[in-house]
Amino acid sequence: MQLRDFFTLDAINLDLASETKDETLRELVGLLGLDEKSRGILFKMLKRRENLGSTGIGRRIAIPHCRSLVVNRLRVAFGRKLSGIDFDAIDKKPVQHIFLIVAPPLEVSNQYLPVLGRIAQFGKEPDVPERLARIERPEEFIALLEEKGV
Amino acid sequence: MHPQLELLLELQDLHTQWRALQDEPLREVEEAVFALRPEEARELLGSKITELSDRLDPEIRRRYLDLVATVDRAVAPVLSGICYGCFVATPTAWSSEACRNDSIGVCDHCGRFLYYVD
Repeated sequence: MQLRDFFTLDAINLDLASETKDETLRELVGLLGLDEKSRGILFKMLKRRENLGSTGIGRRIAIPHCRSLVVNRLRVAFGRKLSGIDFDAIDKKPVQHIFLIVAPPLEVSNQYLPVLGRIAQFGKEPDVPERLARIERPEEFIALLEEKGV
Repeated sequence: MHPQLELLLELQDLHTQWRALQDEPLREVEEAVFALRPEEARELLGSKITELSDRLDPEIRRRYLDLVATVDRAVAPVLSGICYGCFVATPTAWSSEACRNDSIGVCDHCGRFLYYVD
């Protein structure tokens, strides 16, 4: 399993318009191409997860995630906001790189946890935040995932 | 979408999250990567589940509570005409209203509430 297999170019936004955490979650959910009702339900679930504790893991990275019935397979998206968004992250620093992971409650191949783990592992690589900040095109994001072998 | 079905979906997703925090692998990731306190989180989720289930219509609530007491999921997605709760085909004569999730559908075989996924 490779992370690059889960990311599509249209689910990568290197210049998010959002200024707040809520707006960011909505904008990322919008990248998944769901209908309006499903987007609303998913946003609520992601908010509820954030209310339990921020998914901002430090080093300017956040990984909002949840399982929801509104998706029929594992979906991921990536968004970047170079000026930073207050995500109430563990290190209290603004977040620039946000990975969204959503999966249905029941998956045949059970990829949710491995994908979550690999993205966390990718985010912990020393040079990754800086490299992500320098990317200019979605294709370069995919290339970085490939280079890191995650 | 039927407002009560929307509520059921939210409840189902919260239950999934609540149960997932019991499972060792996810619990470990949530603790190690996100510094989440699983027991506190489960308590908060439990309160929210109670609050939302109180907003269900009495008949739906009764069925919902019966289901969560006996099966792992009270709401099952329907994909390609199959109930993913019991993996039995739903009737082919489903109304378009049900297919738009505008009414509350129940699986004839397992009794779970049905949610149609595109």
